[in-house]
Formats: sequence, structure tokens, C-alpha cells
Amino acid sequence: MNDLVDFWLEHLPAMLDGLMVSVQVTGVSLAIGVPLGLLLALAVQSRSKPMRGIAIVVVEVGRGAPALILLQFTYFGLPNAGLSLDSFSSAVIALAWCTGAYTSEIIRAGLEAVPHGQKEAAEAIGLNHLDALRYVILPQALRVSVPALLGFSILMLQASSLCFAIALPELVSQAYLIGSTTFRYMPILVLAGLLYAAICIPATIAVSALERKLGAHA
Amino acid sequence: MTQDMLLTMVSGVPWTIALTAVALLIGVVLGIPLCAMRMSKLVVLRMVANTLILTLRAIPPIVWLFFIFFGLDTGYVSLNPFQAAAIGLGLITAANMAEIYRGAMSAIHSGQSEASMALGLSTYHRFFDVLGPQLFRVALPSAASYAIGLLKDSAIASTIGVHEIAFEASHVSQRTFRGLDVYAVAGLLYILLSLPIAWASRWADLHLRARVAR
Amino acid sequence: MSLNSSSITQADVAPKQPLLRLDAVGKTFGTHVVLEDIDLSLAAGEVVAIIGPSGSGKSTLLRCINQLEPPTTGRVTIGDTTIEAGHTPTRRELMVLRRSIGMVFQSFNLFPHLTVLRNVSLAQERVMGRTREQADAVSMQLLARVGLADKAQQFPSRCSGGQQQRIAIARALALDPQIMLFDEPTSALDPELGLEVLSVMRELAEGGMTMIVVTHEMRFAENVSDRVIIMADGRIVEQGPSGTVMRNPQTERAQRFLHAVKDR
Repeated sequence: MNDLVDFWLEHLPAMLDGLMVSVQVTGVSLAIGVPLGLLLALAVQSRSKPMRGIAIVVVEVGRGAPALILLQFTYFGLPNAGLSLDSFSSAVIALAWCTGAYTSEIIRAGLEAVPHGQKEAAEAIGLNHLDALRYVILPQALRVSVPALLGFSILMLQASSLCFAIALPELVSQAYLIGSTTFRYMPILVLAGLLYAAICIPATIAVSALERKLGAHA
Repeated sequence: MTQDMLLTMVSGVPWTIALTAVALLIGVVLGIPLCAMRMSKLVVLRMVANTLILTLRAIPPIVWLFFIFFGLDTGYVSLNPFQAAAIGLGLITAANMAEIYRGAMSAIHSGQSEASMALGLSTYHRFFDVLGPQLFRVALPSAASYAIGLLKDSAIASTIGVHEIAFEASHVSQRTFRGLDVYAVAGLLYILLSLPIAWASRWADLHLRARVAR
Repeated sequence: MSLNSSSITQADVAPKQPLLRLDAVGKTFGTHVVLEDIDLSLAAGEVVAIIGPSGSGKSTLLRCINQLEPPTTGRVTIGDTTIEAGHTPTRRELMVLRRSIGMVFQSFNLFPHLTVLRNVSLAQERVMGRTREQADAVSMQLLARVGLADKAQQFPSRCSGGQQQRIAIARALALDPQIMLFDEPTSALDPELGLEVLSVMRELAEGGMTMIVVTHEMRFAENVSDRVIIMADGRIVEQGPSGTVMRNPQTERAQRFLHAVKDR
């Protein structure tokens, strides 16, 4: 047991560095992906046919293709098109794409949850389309979407583990590296699992508490 | 993209389907006792189930697969990549299916259970004749979208060497130094594979809706 | 009531320049005809009640007037702005229309995420270009007028249905409209709460506001409005001074409707 704790303590700094990279890549992807999801949600409902078409393709590919394939596509594929990116940038592009696609569906559901009378009332008091969206519809739609968006953010932190495949030094890469040099895969993978669980379990419990609280209000 | 490259990638399709199907089967079956425990009257059982579900869902699939494939391989048990991936994805699926079943249970009006008890139906008939069919119908859409998610998650098995689509794609890509078209085709294959699941789910949903009115 | 006798004469004198005019307005949804060939003109200060069985097109008529439902045929004129059916009105035309017409909905449709004060101020800032301070000052006056100044900082969910509807009236009045449309404003309310809304509406009418009220409140139609319109099956079956129509309807359809309503 002491031996295990010593082993963990020895490698904890490297693992925490990895966790930091995981959190960063997730954070940046969400910061780009969620606004993208909002734009896509609006574009999918747009009256312009080309805009709708593009948005639908972006969403369906982002949701339909595995995140691992999106990561490999941006990291190994884009250089063929003359665009070579480091693994962090590739990861952000792929995960933000994925985030945009999924959150557009979450936000769309939020938009649909706003009663039709709200839009009519906004129109009747003379607000133009953009103001109605900004002051009346979106604040209500986003409020409805918050629990699902937070739940998705937790999934995204887990999905960042796939960046292992494109050599981003995040938590799983670090664990794998340590495992392959010490040949002690089991304990280091347990530590990686514990670190993920330490973030994801409390976050999951908090999100479902928030969901219940919001649900009780509605 | 040569025909040879395409054929190599398509050769991964059966493995992707097999892995998804086996993991789904494990999850659909194991999800039932897990859900029963989660809803049990015994606090201990509830806590065990809750912890299992939370843990399975909180740790990324890739960590589970590495753990089972590299970590458990200590000489006593030795699993091939497919077995390791099927067990790992199957356990994660079980946790998610348990939650889907639980959601479906709470969606069915408590009046249904009360009415069957008032009619004097046995627990067996209450479950299999009254609640079961409705449960299936309510859980189906979420289960189908989970299955599509699982199909995509199965790509992770490429990292431990299961010869499915993502594995063949990265193999072809490394051999030919081409990534753009190879991974685009791989993505397309997954999207194509998910279409029949979506259609089947929609078809079943429509037919069941006609038979099991809500 | 003196209000009644004076307004009958007002309705009898044909107004030279009506404030609002509908010419042959019609609305169909697919093959379903909801409104057919509606002509209507409204003088400044007039209060018109529209009554009739449900499904007769009363609410659709109101919504056609402010273009929430664009009519399929005919034309709507308000002031100098005419909107023909068939071609979409320009932003400017819509703006003129919406600023001249205030609307109160059956289900209030207050904005639940904004305080009562912000509900009333929002359009003043965004549509009329008032500053926040100006808008809030006007809103406080309006809220005081409907007796709810003390609710300004609350959220709508903390107010009773009757209070919410009075706030909705203040919100509609905030744009200084020339006409107010009321779409069954008391139908979603308990009778007792409906009363406080009706009294606010009565004060508005006495203050000279031009109003069209779709309602099931027969007393209000008879006592407060100058003119009553009875609709059935998407058409106007009878209209005239409220006392005459309510007490002595001429057409068989109007008699049948009023008979059914009054027998309760």
C-alpha cells in the first residue's frame, strides 16, 4: 500500500500537468464551441436555404462522426490540405466542432421550449427580430439549456482523453507514458481514473441537483 | 483514394458492428439488475448501484479500455483486444442503460402500477403485462440514440488494437501518408452505419406508438 | 349610464377620418377559411367589443390588425399607413403599425425573466429610443395608473393573474399607442381577478382610448363599449350601438348566440 502511494506521489506532478492540459483543451473548445452551437442553432432555423444547408451539414457531421475521427482528421488530415497545426490547435478545432454540433441541438431544444406567446408579445410591442431574440427569447432559451450544457461540458472533459491519439500531453497520454516506462499500467491508470472521477462525479451530482432545482421552479 | 484503401477500411465495418452489438447486449442485460438495485428499497444496494453508475460514467471510456486491457493483464487473466473493448464498453453501456430504464420508469404514470395492484395482478404480471411493454416503448428512443453514440465510441477500441474502422483508417493513413480523404471516408462510414439504427428506431417508435397508446 | 348615450351619437355620426380601417380582410389557413370579407372602421375614442362563439374568428381578426397573422386578402389602414395583403410589409410599416397598436393577450405573455419594471420599459428603450431612466420613469407612472407601482421590482411569477394582466396593459400602453387591442383579457382569470382588469379597462375607455376588445364579458360589452360586433363563422353577423345590439339583435344568428349566452 505504501509502495502504491509512493508511486502515485512520485508521478502526481506529471499527472496533474496532464490534467491541466485536459482542462485547458476542454475549456478552450467549449469557449469556442458553445457560441458556435448558438450560431448553428439559429442558422438551422434560418430562412436562407444555403445557410440552413451548411449548418445542417456541419451539425450532422459533427454529431455523426466519432470524436476520435474528427481529431485524427484535423491532426493527420488537414496537413494534406496544406494546414499543419500543432496537436493542441487540432484538438481545439475538432472538439469545438463536436461541441458546436451537440450544443446546437441543446440550444435548439431550449429555443423551442420558449412559449410562442413570448415571441408574439415581443413582436406586438414592436421589437425587431434581433432585439426580440436578444432580450426576450435567448435569455429564456439559454436558461432552459444550462443544465444540459453543463452535463455536456462534463462529457467533453472525458472526450478530451481521446487527444491521446494525436499526442497531446493530456492526462491519459501522461498515464500511458508513465505506464510504458515503469511497466506499472494498472496503478497509474487507476490514478488517472481517480483524477477524472474527482472532477466528474461531484460535477455530475451538482448538475443533477441544479436540474432538480430548475425543474421544481418550472 | 484507391479501391484497395477503401476495401481495407470497409473490412473494419464487421468488427465495428460486432463490437457495438456485443457491448450493447451486455449493457442492455446488465442494465436491468443495476437499475433494480438503483431503485431498491435497501439503502446499501442503492448506494452500491449509485456508486457503480457514477464511476462507470465519470471515467472516460479510453481509460476503462486501457485499464482492462493493460491493467488487468497481470498474468492471471489475459484478454484479447476485442474482449477487453467489449467488456469495457459493455459495462459503461450498462450504467447508461440503467439510467435510461430508470428515466422510463418514472415517465410511466404511477397510476398504472396502482391500477394493476388494485386489479390484484401479481408482481410478475404487473411487470410483464402492464409496465414492461410501456417501459420498452418509452425507453426505446433514448436507447436508440445511446446505441448510435456507442457505435461512435467503439472507435476508441482502435487504440487497443481492435481491427475496426478507425483502426484500419489510421493504418491506411500511416501507410499512405494521406489523412484528409482517409479520415473523411472513415467518418462517412460511421454516419452511414448510424442511419439504419435511426431508421429502425423511428419505425419501431411509430409502430409501438400505435399499439401501446401512451 | 351617461357614457352610453353620448357614445351612441358618436357612433352614429360617420367619422370623416377613421383611425383604423379594414377593407375586405380575409384569412385562410390552407383550405380552412377563418375570416371572410371583414370591413370595419374605427373612429378615435371609440370602444368596440367583439363577441361571438368560439372559433368564430374573433381573435384571428385582432391578430390580423397588427399583422401577427398576416391577412390573406384585403387591406388594413392605420393613420397614413396601408398594408395590403399578399406582400410582406416593410420593417418601417410594421414598426409604425406596432407602435400605434398596443395588444393585450389572453395569457398575458409577460417576459418571465425580466422584472415588472423591465417588462414595461424594454420596448420604450429598444423601439422608442428612450434612455433607461426616461423609460423607467414612464413605466413607474404607468404602473401607478394600473395600481401596481409597488410591484415594479418583482418578477411576474410573484404576481397574481389579475396583476399580471394589468402589468401587460401597462406594457402595451408604454408605446403610447393610438389603439389598444384586447384578446379575451379576462378569460384566463378567476372571475374575481377579472374584475380588477375590467375596471382598469373601463378607466382607459373613459379616458378616451380607442379600443377593440374581444371578450366573453357581456356586461362589459353592453355597458362600456360604444359599439358591439357579433361574429360567427369568420364573418360579422351583426353590429351596431351596444345597447341596441345587445338588447334587440336583428339577425337570427345574433339572436341565437345572445340567447345562449344570456340563458346561463
